[in-house]
Amino acid sequence: MKQKLLAAAAALGLAVSVTAGQAADTVKIGLMAPLTGSWASEGQGMKKIVELLAEQQNAKGGVSGKKIEVVTEDDGGDPRTASLAAQRLTTQGVAAVVGTYGSSVTEASQTIYDEAGIPQIANGSTAIRLTEKGFKRFFRTAPRDDEQGRMAAQTIGKLGFKKVAILHDSTSYAKGLADESNALLKKKGTEVVFFDALTPGERDYTTILTKLKGANPDVVLFTGYFPEAGLLLRQKKDMNWKVPFIGGDATNNADLVKIAGQEAAEGYYFLSPPQPQDLDTADAKNFLTDYQKKYNELPPSIWAVLAGDGFRVMVAGIAGAKSTDGDKIAGYLHKDLKNFSGLSGPISFDAKGDREGEVYRVYKVDGAGKFVLQKL
Amino acid sequence: MEEFFQQLTNGLAVGGIYALIALGYTMVYGVLKLINFAHGDLFTYGAYLGLTLLTSLALTDRLGFAMGVLVLALMVMGLVAVLGAILERAAYRPLRQSPRLSAVVSALGASIFLQNTLMLIYGPRFQVYPDNILPAATLNIFGLYLPLMRVLIVLVSVLMMVGLYLFIQKTKIGTAIRAAAIDQDAARLMGIDVNRVIMLVFLVGPALGGAAGLMVGLYYGQINFTMGWIYGMKAFTAAILGGIGNIPGAMVGGLLLGVIEALGAAYISIAWKDAIAFCVLILILIVRPTGLLGERVADKV
Repeated sequence: MKQKLLAAAAALGLAVSVTAGQAADTVKIGLMAPLTGSWASEGQGMKKIVELLAEQQNAKGGVSGKKIEVVTEDDGGDPRTASLAAQRLTTQGVAAVVGTYGSSVTEASQTIYDEAGIPQIANGSTAIRLTEKGFKRFFRTAPRDDEQGRMAAQTIGKLGFKKVAILHDSTSYAKGLADESNALLKKKGTEVVFFDALTPGERDYTTILTKLKGANPDVVLFTGYFPEAGLLLRQKKDMNWKVPFIGGDATNNADLVKIAGQEAAEGYYFLSPPQPQDLDTADAKNFLTDYQKKYNELPPSIWAVLAGDGFRVMVAGIAGAKSTDGDKIAGYLHKDLKNFSGLSGPISFDAKGDREGEVYRVYKVDGAGKFVLQKL
Repeated sequence: MEEFFQQLTNGLAVGGIYALIALGYTMVYGVLKLINFAHGDLFTYGAYLGLTLLTSLALTDRLGFAMGVLVLALMVMGLVAVLGAILERAAYRPLRQSPRLSAVVSALGASIFLQNTLMLIYGPRFQVYPDNILPAATLNIFGLYLPLMRVLIVLVSVLMMVGLYLFIQKTKIGTAIRAAAIDQDAARLMGIDVNRVIMLVFLVGPALGGAAGLMVGLYYGQINFTMGWIYGMKAFTAAILGGIGNIPGAMVGGLLLGVIEALGAAYISIAWKDAIAFCVLILILIVRPTGLLGERVADKV
């Protein structure tokens, strides 16, 4: 049965490549997205964004004088489905592939595209290991998990804090972020006056706050989750201690303000990728207007917008390399594409294919408990 | 030095809550030789019932802060006490004559049941007490910042504990409880209704636990259906530290555990806070296997 299916799939692939041969005046770009499954809303958003961008690019004359054709395959948000989707895309003569969302899903498709010599650009996969495997044609528009630590250290520097206290909660995410920030802050010569962990799930953190206060930091970086962050803010206010707090993207949750109370939450900074409506480049604003005009809604998340950036980068790569050869496109993206104006900000890639521009933004809680994007 | 006293007061406020919950464990153990593992969940019910009554009846708006909270506390204590009595009736009385292990398993089952019921009713997300109910005053005594509510928590806990102690030591019913704790059969021969005594123990202990839950909700604001586990664990430890079965022991154990935790975190390591507290517990148990004030338990057996 399986063999029959494979044969059928191969025949289908053949049929498609025959039609592709006939229409050689188009450049095909693949999109691998979770159109079904639990991440379906992300996948649908990715598809809508890429299709709209392709439409706009074709109206401007396409790329290298040829029209762009988007070939979409569903990865179901599942590694096994993804490897099938990847195989289907490689047989359809795509010049490059955009996608996908989940890290493990992307991982399942990496080798397939690599063997086929097709450049791939992932949009939502943040796991560090994806770019540590030495794939020469793999890129991503998403930040890496350790990028947040870099951003934390940089933000603390920009806000002018000299003495930093770091508090985590011993989970692998929070401890990783704390270690990363600690190393970077020390390298920059910022004094880290406190580094310790609290026990998540407790109610009383005044002991920790008293100890923190004794270390007399200019700012406290808390890398854990929102329930503890809320309690810390609330009890800090009770102590009449006015030190600012900065948190990671695990505190980006509306319940934070509920737990802390509006008054205590006011002035709290946290790092997070921007919400689509907070994107501030002119390109992004125009694009969001067009998107709303066409689909009557906002993109589901920043990750879907990053798929759009992936598409634009690949188009720029094909145009820049003046070729649809995978190695030439990848070479151009690695060496020549610098500060490309992406929807989510400037895009450049390092030797590993990781994004060099900043994706994380700084948000601050205002007096009404709203999360407001900060310009630093 | 200032930081030392600040940490001491931090520890006392946490310890006061531990002590109130520990009383429930220790009273039940004293009379039934049973660890009531569902006690931590009764504490959680106190916090949730307090939230529901507070928001639905708007007591503090109608009666003012002090009166409103007092009425609320009485209602919560009453309801949690009834819940405790039902728990005894449903989960423990049918097993009174069974091996002790069966009752412990029943207690664990009751704990899971209570916790999940709460999750089904209120949902798994964090619940938050409304803001601005409490006066947010902070006292400043010799450079120590003492939020008024923390002082009140310690005062109320100590008052309740002293009240319970007097009740057990000075009243006739208290004497009956003590008699049943020493020897149930002999107490029955003396004309004491042991079943009623046990029922009473299951009313008083949960009432205090419920009051502790309400205080945690009112002061810390954020409650969640699993919070009884961590508090229950600590209170159980406090009861053993002070000598389980012994009422002053539970008070001393609770306050002491809070202070050890605070000072351990302050002067050694925050991440190792719990480990330090348990090391102290082990050391004390090596020197005094019955706990700090536990001699009288040994006499009983």
